[in-house]
Amino acid sequence: MRTYVPTPEWIVLDWHHACIAAELLCIQRCTGCGRWRHPPRRFCPACQSDQAAFEPVTGSGSVLSFAVSHRSLDPGWQAHAPYATLLVELDEGPRLLAATTTPPGEIRIGQRLAVRTEALSENFVLVWADPASHDEPTSMAPRARGNPHD
Amino acid sequence: MGTDLWGTTAIVGVGETDYVRGSDRHVCDLILDAAMEAITDAGLKPADINGIIPPPGYMSTEEIAAHLGVPDVAYHVSVLMGGASPTASLQTAAMAIAGGLADNVLVCMGWNGYSALRPKPDARPTKRVMNLGPMGETVRNHYAPYGLMSAAQHYSLYLRRYVETFGIPEDAAAAVAIACRNHAQLNSKALMRGAPLSRADYDAAPFIAEPLRKFDCCVETDCATAVVVTSLERARDLVHPAVVYLGGAEGHPEPADEIANRANLLELGIHRAAPRAFARAGVSPHDIDVLEIYDCFTYVVLLQLEALGYAEPGGAPAFVANGNIELGGRFPLNTHGGLLSQGHCWGLNHVVEATRQLRGTADAQVTDAELALVTGYGDLGDGSVAILGRDR
Ligand SMILES: [Zn+2]
Repeated sequence: MRTYVPTPEWIVLDWHHACIAAELLCIQRCTGCGRWRHPPRRFCPACQSDQAAFEPVTGSGSVLSFAVSHRSLDPGWQAHAPYATLLVELDEGPRLLAATTTPPGEIRIGQRLAVRTEALSENFVLVWADPASHDEPTSMAPRARGNPHD
Repeated sequence: MGTDLWGTTAIVGVGETDYVRGSDRHVCDLILDAAMEAITDAGLKPADINGIIPPPGYMSTEEIAAHLGVPDVAYHVSVLMGGASPTASLQTAAMAIAGGLADNVLVCMGWNGYSALRPKPDARPTKRVMNLGPMGETVRNHYAPYGLMSAAQHYSLYLRRYVETFGIPEDAAAAVAIACRNHAQLNSKALMRGAPLSRADYDAAPFIAEPLRKFDCCVETDCATAVVVTSLERARDLVHPAVVYLGGAEGHPEPADEIANRANLLELGIHRAAPRAFARAGVSPHDIDVLEIYDCFTYVVLLQLEALGYAEPGGAPAFVANGNIELGGRFPLNTHGGLLSQGHCWGLNHVVEATRQLRGTADAQVTDAELALVTGYGDLGDGSVAILGRDR
């Protein structure tokens, strides 16, 4: 169904390997100052430390935005059109894209999500997110890096 | 420092091929045709060119020089900002000239934007491709596995946020699409000349990636354009009235190499480039007579108009309403039809059109146009701005 599975390299590959080993979503965390960051970066933008580890996260987050694709160049995805892709803000702060089984019409910005991973190869995990079973009010969602203008 | 650069160079030659879906010409022929036309338009010979900025991909400076017969390339550089590249290239050309590194700089763009994915059965094959630059890695690793391969899909991640945050109505996007299509009816080279667009057509078209409908998306085209930049002093001895490069800038969002982790999803490169460009040119947004705004997608035009200061955040719908951006309005926008309706030449066609407007020779001429503003937009939100003016 998903026809395109990349073979990442460098620190992106390290991230995928960490998620596969933990069987959980892991995110890079600065050893120097404790800040989480994604996608993986060599140096911490806050303290410049290059010491970091991939640590499991809670898997909770919310919908910051989402794409609804009606056309896809990938036949595997085109078969599912229209499909949503979620831009997830994890409770720890970092954001990433996630596939979802939820129909586009049922997705709302601010909706609470539970995130999980699926290993598609030895070198790649796909991140999935769907509404959390107990939908908390969005005002309760922790906002590690909220910005009133975005 | 700034006084030695801004306002001391000028665009003196422009060239453009036809804008077509499925060219019979090899992509290299398109690029070289436009380049030779720009040199000739300036009243120069290839031997007068000694600076080259090639397209992002397809052809190298070395090949371009050899095929045109440019004997002595003193300076060249590639600018890799996707659709922001050509407009950003003007500042690079100006720096090279003001710094004495080159005298006459050729800026080229051209591609097989339509035929790359759908070659005609008898078309001359090519293995030449665009240089995706920094976005290639991000798309390959982080977006494509989630079914997001096209620019429409990538940008829809923040365009949804824009639409929902401010309640942007489809009316605003439709106004941009229809203004560009109306202007294309007047442009002799526009791909969509003869194919007017009504609001009913716009509304009836399917979504590509929400909020983008079919007519919110630019037209993929085979085409090429080129311009020649020289010093204002030399420009005054050449064929056409000099079109002065008054100021320009580039800007990049943070981080520039991916969308998701920007503190503000709606703060793009142009938000940083615009104030720099206006300050360098010494003009304000309301001094401008013609707007040539990078229009890969209608909603991206709205966001850029806000970044440029023509409206508050969320205020662009009022700006584009009531014919304000149509020929005859206060701020005619994309008078050639833009990427949406003339054709997609990475915005160097916007620079060509701005030059013609300021020469007074555009097909859809804005009366007494003295100042034009061009934007570029590309990769995952890089931006560039150029402010051009008639020589006074
Ligand atoms: Zn740190």
